[in-house]
Amino acid sequence: MMTIKFMLNGTEQTIKTDPSRRLLDVLRKDFNLKGSKEGCGEGECGACAILLDGHITNSCCLPLASVHKRSIMTIEGYAKTARFDVLSNSFAEAGAVQCGICTPGMILAAESLLNQNPAPTDAQIRIGISGNLCRCTGYNMIVKAIQSAAKRGEGLW
Amino acid sequence: MVKHLIPNTLNEALEALSKHPYQIIGGGTDAMIQYRNHSDLSPRFKAHVMYIMNLKALQGISSNDAAIIIQSMTPLETLNSHALVPPLLRKVILEMASPALRYVATLAGNIVNASPAGDALVPLYLWDTEVVLQSHQNSRKIRLSECITGPKKTGIRADELLTQIIIPKHDESGHYYQKVGGRRADAIAKISFAGTYKINNNTLTDIRMAFGAVSATIVRQRDIENMIIGLNINDLSTKIEQLQAAYAPYIQPIDDQRSNRVYRKQVALNLIADFINHIIKEASRP
Amino acid sequence: MHKDISQSIHKLDAHARMQGKAQYVGDIDIKGMLHAITLRSPIAKGIIKAIHYPPLPSGYTIIDYRDIPGKNFVKMIFEDWKIFAEDTVEHIGEPIALIVGEDKRVLYDIHDKIICDIQPLEPLFSYQKSVIDYQFTKGNPDPVFKQAKKIIKETYETGYQEQAYIEPQGFIGYPETAEKVTLIGSVQCLYYVKNAVVSALDTHPDNVRVIQAAVGGAFGGKEEYPSLIACQLAIAIRKTQKPIKLIFEREEDMSVTTKRHPSKTTMEAAIDADNNIVGIRAKVALDGGAYIGLSGVVLSRALIAVTNAYTIKHLAVSGDVFKTNTVPNGAFRGFGAPQMIFAIEMFMHHLAKQLNQDPYSFRMQYLAKQGDQTSTSGLFRDPIIMPKMIQKATEMAQFHDKVKAYKTMPNRGIGMSYFLHGCGFTGSGESTHINAQVKLRKDDHDHVYILVAAVDMGQGAKTTLIKIVSHTLEIPIEQVHFDYPDTDDVPDSGPTVASRTAMIVGGLVNQAALEMKSLWQSKTPLEVIKRYKQPEWIVWDEKTFQGDAYPAYSWGVNIVEVEVSPITYQVNIIGIWSVYDVGKALDETIVLGQADGGTAQGVAYGYLEVMVHEQGQLKQKNMTDYIIPTAVDMAPTQTHLYDNPFALGPYGAKGAGELTLVGGAPAVAMAIEMAIKKPIKKIPATPEYIMELMHDDDH
Ligand SMILES: Cc1cc2nc3c(=O)[nH]c(=O)nc-3n(C[C@H](O)[C@H](O)[C@H](O)COP(=O)(O)OP(=O)(O)OC[C@H]3O[C@@H](n4cnc5c(N)ncnc54)[C@H](O)[C@@H]3O)c2cc1C
Ligand code: FES
Ligand code: FES
Repeated sequence: MMTIKFMLNGTEQTIKTDPSRRLLDVLRKDFNLKGSKEGCGEGECGACAILLDGHITNSCCLPLASVHKRSIMTIEGYAKTARFDVLSNSFAEAGAVQCGICTPGMILAAESLLNQNPAPTDAQIRIGISGNLCRCTGYNMIVKAIQSAAKRGEGLW
Repeated sequence: MVKHLIPNTLNEALEALSKHPYQIIGGGTDAMIQYRNHSDLSPRFKAHVMYIMNLKALQGISSNDAAIIIQSMTPLETLNSHALVPPLLRKVILEMASPALRYVATLAGNIVNASPAGDALVPLYLWDTEVVLQSHQNSRKIRLSECITGPKKTGIRADELLTQIIIPKHDESGHYYQKVGGRRADAIAKISFAGTYKINNNTLTDIRMAFGAVSATIVRQRDIENMIIGLNINDLSTKIEQLQAAYAPYIQPIDDQRSNRVYRKQVALNLIADFINHIIKEASRP
Repeated sequence: MHKDISQSIHKLDAHARMQGKAQYVGDIDIKGMLHAITLRSPIAKGIIKAIHYPPLPSGYTIIDYRDIPGKNFVKMIFEDWKIFAEDTVEHIGEPIALIVGEDKRVLYDIHDKIICDIQPLEPLFSYQKSVIDYQFTKGNPDPVFKQAKKIIKETYETGYQEQAYIEPQGFIGYPETAEKVTLIGSVQCLYYVKNAVVSALDTHPDNVRVIQAAVGGAFGGKEEYPSLIACQLAIAIRKTQKPIKLIFEREEDMSVTTKRHPSKTTMEAAIDADNNIVGIRAKVALDGGAYIGLSGVVLSRALIAVTNAYTIKHLAVSGDVFKTNTVPNGAFRGFGAPQMIFAIEMFMHHLAKQLNQDPYSFRMQYLAKQGDQTSTSGLFRDPIIMPKMIQKATEMAQFHDKVKAYKTMPNRGIGMSYFLHGCGFTGSGESTHINAQVKLRKDDHDHVYILVAAVDMGQGAKTTLIKIVSHTLEIPIEQVHFDYPDTDDVPDSGPTVASRTAMIVGGLVNQAALEMKSLWQSKTPLEVIKRYKQPEWIVWDEKTFQGDAYPAYSWGVNIVEVEVSPITYQVNIIGIWSVYDVGKALDETIVLGQADGGTAQGVAYGYLEVMVHEQGQLKQKNMTDYIIPTAVDMAPTQTHLYDNPFALGPYGAKGAGELTLVGGAPAVAMAIEMAIKKPIKKIPATPEYIMELMHDDDH
């Protein structure tokens, strides 16, 4: 048991628990944030992705201890931002959401990418989402959606 | 009871290590998977656990006249965009795992994990990289190739942390890298190969080659490299078969769920030829 | 309101899914719930002597075959697939018992202490024991083969394919009353699950309720398998009278759930003096795994696809499902067709080459036309627009120029496949087995509710069905509702499979809407029910495979361009072009999305996705080892849709879901073949196989 302190979706949280637990389990169980999904549990699929200090990482291979004094944003927090509105409208319009199990992670991957590179090429987008597996879409519509969000959201990133 | 420690300083970490051993967690992308339990259950760590990913003292990149010094917990992503990091290493990192993992994964983790398929090891072997192993009272610097003693085995003592990776500055005319994975991103290597070379007045003054995933550890043979150092570029193409034959005994890959030994061996030999042809082509450029 | 129905709207569930608000089964918790984990066979074949359980802490329960109130079979087509192993085990991973209790740590602890005393028997992995065999002919194949100038024979092999939906399988359930069990799950077929559980519990249908959760991908993988775990869970709920959650982790899911059948197909062509194909003989072998499940139905779709988009006068077709001591194989988007279409497309291509003819013109000669006889001597009644589609595809891809250029340019290749997919159930399935029923309900605020058992698993059923009703009733989209179906509420409109949802269920929903429109009285509640009636002209003989196997066909063309590295033998996809006839797109973006995703799966089946077993143990058990494409692996695709409305489909729609997968593999295989100038007879065409071919000078 240890006390871990971190920012979660803009609010400071303190939690006393086993710090070796996967951040994914803590988010889903202790904070009831179910938007991060377990697709593989081994870092491969990106369904569990969250933002750690604004950058995408996978919460299934991150121990809670590693986020001590750092800042986490999950899809639930990100969904309240203006950037999400732009991304989600572009996703919906492009047809980038099918079963949706990869989508929260995919949106956070897009945010992380645009944050670093507000005007990515298609090839850069593909690399940016290469750790997020999607079995439904074949990715083209996702690439298109991120491209269109980059254009529409000019100035936001 | 398993004890957990998130040290605030390097000293605190080393002091704790001097008392009893800990399972070190850096980025955790190897350790958390290796000790993974079922969903929603804590990992099956057998020892006390120390989390050092956020240790300030282990972050950063600097250089001196002789070398580039990488603090061991600097995330791969940071290395990727840093001007001091050799372009070949950046190229290698860009093909490791995915953006999400690169943000937390570290060079130290890749080294200590000591997988025969560890991607970053391949270029690091080329440069005769050294690592600094620090304990509470002591610090020693050893060659990476001596630090890694076998698959998943290193010579790091239980009271030591790997704190720095020292890459000697290296003058090259060019480099070559091929990672052959099951797909084009986010894949573990079936085999990988890196090479650098230096040409002066049409003479090959240095060449280095290293192979990943073809043996228990990374393969690099200075004696074979020496066979062709000093040759005129125009004579290189006649040496390809001889080089392949010389490397062949060291290339001892395995059959597994990712590929088979025949393929791995053949591709390793092809890559040697391709590298030499690449040098010849580059050298003939006006 | 009179705009074209194909015009796209935002998918109606997209926003909830993006916000992370959609509830997948893993996201649902019930207060006081227990967890279940599964004890499985460690060996491929054996006789169970005894299972020694440790003393159980209080609150922990073992559920095994002795707890089954009904018969120990998952009710499907045959009574062969056991709910829990009883006296024998037939494959590694076969379920023996559930361990149920509150704390997962304790569950795994109990699990690890169980000793299975199983006497090993020699397992069977080769194609020896046929459990189903079908055959049929068309025309008069025997004399044709006797008189042939020559007979050309080739054999084609395909491997496993794993659905690899990103959401693993699972259920949560609770006792609604002492008798009644409610199950919420990630499923494609609510009534398959319900019927199986009713049989397992030996209870009245009213005592079983199945509700769909958000489904995170299915692709056939959640067609029959969920019935198995639902039966197990329902038995456990009945016994414990507690809510229980059973969620697979990735490794478990990959190791034990159904996959696409590996296959081996031998094709023979009778060739006359003018180098024409006069007849084809085909023999198909499917690896069924340990239990038959749906394998027979998969086999019939494979056999019927024997001539694909071509017409050949004389046919002799036969096939077997072989039992092996491996994980049972089952439904996967395409359902037998991908295996056969790979074989026939490659065969046509190879025939042309062996007869020294240009493959393109050679294959064009045999293209099916309206009025031709199908492989089962039925009729292609509707217009076939393949020539126009092929022309469009070749223009988009600059196919002919590239074929010319790549004759001399090394390592580059381009391949084209033609294909069709029969829409809806094979044969008389719709009328004799399913007999679908749909309901529309209007409330006193004039809001209309679609009550069907169709599942939106990402393919857009929710959006397209709502669009149909909104268009037909001429009311706003917001006034039409389609919630996750619940068997207490919706009639059995059949399973969400076989590309039948838009055409069959959508067609019935449209008929119901039309009737509702004619009876419409504002502010008055109204309910309309419609039942499927097979058009009289569809005649099918299940025993002889004669007649119309499907009411309609969707058609497609795929072109794939590749580069193959002579150093690493890796394949790089450079471009994918497709043209489809799905009748009429009920939403253009949704169909294009099906096209992108289906083609990616089909192409990856051809060159990328490797799964093999060693002594019955699958070697690829997780997402690291079972490779599916990332965004970097897939090239941009260009897709064109042609309207070719089908009179009986809603707004002319036919099936679209499976069609887009079935042609990918032969297209990429032909492209690789051109690049390496060696014939490809096996998929996936991995770098390891390509290397073998390139170093083999006999070909
Ligand atoms: C999905 C996935 C994809 C991957 N893809 C690749 C890939 O393409 N190429 C590749 O090479 N690897 C890959 N990996 C493996 C892994 O990401 C890398 O090896 C990474 O560099 C490990 O770094 P880390 O900091 O996360 O290591 P950790 O997991 O933190 O540590 C790994 C080991 O090193 C020890 N250790 C860490 N830091 C120190 C230190 N300072 N001193 C002493 N011991 C230490 C730990 O105790 C542990 O035993 C992948 C992993 C996953 C999960
Ligand atoms: S669940 Fe974390 S990457 Fe798949
Ligand atoms: S939308 Fe289903 S996995 Fe991406």
